[in-house]
Amino acid sequence: MTPVLVVGAGLTGLFAAALAGRRGARVTLLTEGRGGLEISHGCIDVLASPLSSVELARLPATHPYQLAGVERIHHALDLFREIVAEQHLEYRGSADSTLSLPTAAGHTRSTMLAPLAQSAGALGSQEPFHLAALDHFRDFAADYAAARLRRSGMPVDGVVRLPMPNLPLNRDLYSTDLARLFDQPAWRSETLRAWRPRLAGVRRLGLPAVLGLAHSESARLKAEEHLGIRLFEIPTLPPSVPGLRLERALRHAAFAAGVRLIEGAHAVGLVEATYPGSVSGVVSQTAGGPRPYRADAVILATGGLLHGGLLARARGTVQESVFDLPVAHTSERDDWTADSPFATQPYASFGVRVGGGFRPVDMQARPLFDNLFAAGGLLAGCDRSREGSRQGIDLVSAACAVEEALR
Amino acid sequence: MTSLSTQLLVLGGGATGLGIAWDACLRGLKVVLVEQGDIGQGTSGRYHGLLHSGGRYVVSDPASARDCAAENLVLRRLARHTIEDTGGFFAAAPGDPPDFAERWREGCLHAGVPATEISVAEACRREPLLNTQLQRVFAVQDASLDSFDLLHALVEAIRSAGGEVRLRHRVTGIVRESDRIRGATLQPPDGTQPVTIHAEMVVNATGPWARQTAALAGVDIPMALGKGTMVAMATRVVNTIVNRLKPPADGDIIVPVGTVAVLGTTDVPVEDPTDLRIQPWEIDLLLAEAERLIPGIADRRPLRAWAGVRPLFRPTQTAGETRQMPRAHLILDHAASDGLPGMISVIGGKLTTFRLMAEQTVDQVCRALHVESACRTKDVPLDPPRRARYYALPDRLRHLEHVRPRSLPPEVICECESVTREQIVRALASADTAELDDIRRDLRVGMGPCQAGFCAYRTAALAESRAGADLGWLESFLEERWRGTRPLAWGTQLRQMELTRRLYVELMAMRHEPEAS
Repeated sequence: MTPVLVVGAGLTGLFAAALAGRRGARVTLLTEGRGGLEISHGCIDVLASPLSSVELARLPATHPYQLAGVERIHHALDLFREIVAEQHLEYRGSADSTLSLPTAAGHTRSTMLAPLAQSAGALGSQEPFHLAALDHFRDFAADYAAARLRRSGMPVDGVVRLPMPNLPLNRDLYSTDLARLFDQPAWRSETLRAWRPRLAGVRRLGLPAVLGLAHSESARLKAEEHLGIRLFEIPTLPPSVPGLRLERALRHAAFAAGVRLIEGAHAVGLVEATYPGSVSGVVSQTAGGPRPYRADAVILATGGLLHGGLLARARGTVQESVFDLPVAHTSERDDWTADSPFATQPYASFGVRVGGGFRPVDMQARPLFDNLFAAGGLLAGCDRSREGSRQGIDLVSAACAVEEALR
Repeated sequence: MTSLSTQLLVLGGGATGLGIAWDACLRGLKVVLVEQGDIGQGTSGRYHGLLHSGGRYVVSDPASARDCAAENLVLRRLARHTIEDTGGFFAAAPGDPPDFAERWREGCLHAGVPATEISVAEACRREPLLNTQLQRVFAVQDASLDSFDLLHALVEAIRSAGGEVRLRHRVTGIVRESDRIRGATLQPPDGTQPVTIHAEMVVNATGPWARQTAALAGVDIPMALGKGTMVAMATRVVNTIVNRLKPPADGDIIVPVGTVAVLGTTDVPVEDPTDLRIQPWEIDLLLAEAERLIPGIADRRPLRAWAGVRPLFRPTQTAGETRQMPRAHLILDHAASDGLPGMISVIGGKLTTFRLMAEQTVDQVCRALHVESACRTKDVPLDPPRRARYYALPDRLRHLEHVRPRSLPPEVICECESVTREQIVRALASADTAELDDIRRDLRVGMGPCQAGFCAYRTAALAESRAGADLGWLESFLEERWRGTRPLAWGTQLRQMELTRRLYVELMAMRHEPEAS
């Protein structure tokens, strides 16, 4: 069994660990905290337009998708669907077409794979729906969303206000509070009973994504059965429950594949290599001092600027946080951001360059180490926001890095 | 075109204009004040929050120092609710000119600015993050003054004294009849009918816009504009105001304000009052200077940067002696300077002395109108707003904690600043609110560490039923918050910015263009 170290437990790291484990590697997953799935809509954005070799050819040559190629992209997405389906989280859609989903701000979001609970709200059909406003819940603005959806021609019939009896109102409610309550059959039945009289004339209802965390599919199906209408979910302000469900499924999949998870491990550098051109592990800073973790291959999935894989410094430098790998970036701090948060951000494409084997490379495009791989938000050469490719890049680069590491 | 008439028309809703309108109301004049934007949108709302002890000016401008020292005491009495008595230090950092301290101490004595030398050890005991290598430290009576609070109290005081305050009325013309100023024409918001306000006297208190305003009357005021940049650190690194004990220069002060500490300021000449662009060197300079007072401050998180534009009077060679006025501010009667009666321009000054400027201005107004009435602003305290706005954090926390038994706790919309749904709904009901940024200035929504990442959406949702709210209020608010964090886009702050962007651009799929109406 090849010992493999994965650093980072976001979408990329969890998926890589689960894949490597399923392929028989002895996997240790090191993570400092939680990955970024708590702010994720839980869908898989692959590209804004259906995947094809023509679409790929439009991307820069160093783009992770170019390095992977169409076949490996499809393969990674298939593996993803298979793994999460085993954990009772079913995803719909494919890389051949886009799904258009309503958002909590009343815009339409285009994605490729969506969990069943969201794909049921796809805007392709002209079948009318209502949106639900839940009492005391700040993080989903049904009226706001409905007005804007209607303005862009979506068949929103109206907003129904749903009471929330029996809430523990000792503090403000977050979506995770409601999701955990919906996991409880008794609380759920009582709440659904209170909702039922308000739903006359409603056939299809968009709810904030709070219908259960651990048992979401059954929570939603039970609710549909009880109310006699079809339900779909729309992600809320974070904590975003669909992202957390995905995190949960992937963690379970990784555990099922024998992955050893070490939390609270702040990776700070490499273990001295036994021979030049390779790494023999990662040093992590623990309360008791530095601690080495050895492995034959290391997959770095520490994320980009948001999640701590890249560190932007006041003096205009950008560092990779574990190995201090070279980072592609511009050096004028003033040029890092755009005027508007809605515009393309120059900093969004900063990152670590990798070659065809998903190994970080130096300025001459030569691999730095033969057994160090990088995947996910850390990678340069792409603008995930603009391309609509964030989760797709995570999954595809994770799958490629695992394949190369175990080759 | 609609029209109305009044005795005194004040142009400009900053501290100067509001102070003048308040003073005039108390003297029994009929007053209308117009402001082009929202209260506190100009220079008065873009300052560092210092109520001067006078210490800053004792060497360079003793007259101003004396004014500041006197007005400091007056404002502590009149507007207590807007002031936090932090006290202040003047501290000589390592390398600061050692002989300045003695000149400064002399200056304090002459100008009547109380200052007591304390040991560096004592200063560091009171402020543990201070540099232990400071040369000398003096304690002074600086305080932190919330200008938004002060301006709102003035608006309420003017309105309850019978005066009128109109927001979002831009001056488009000055009415001139037979070589006398007779009023102004104004453009109200949303393309409604222009308004002409006829007045016996017009006061131009438009701050950095004073030259443009005067030009509408065909007169020129020689002015220079100085942009000052400030940085708010995300935490309150000091509880005492700390000034550098050296001649006034860039980056010579740290002011604790609410939950943050403000580093001030730079001084960059600009041509246009709306030129608020911040250069990276300004940020670097402010952090580097603050580093000499508080070692390690540059590694802490800066939260937001903003700039204000100071209007300064700059007389030409040919200027007559009427212009040899106190350096801090100038009251220019256009009857004397340009042979054009009916208008007085007020230029320069500082927030600490706004009341004094108002008194002197209204004295001139009364002379021109042949009204005999003495100034009363020294004796009439400014009430806190009738409905408590809970500006101060302790008040807000008390409001949240002390909930009546069996009633629902208040729903918090902005966690960083503890702003509740009830407060926002009330602010939304006000006719003065025309965008989410107005609610921010009223309630501090979105001013905390997350810079509106979470509360912008919730607040926009509450605003949804308000007319006009559908015209991209949320988008504009997010863009405004983004602008103030851009100069600080590295480290933790860049992560925060990226989080906000992910929420709105990826999770909510909001787009670049605000939605069409």
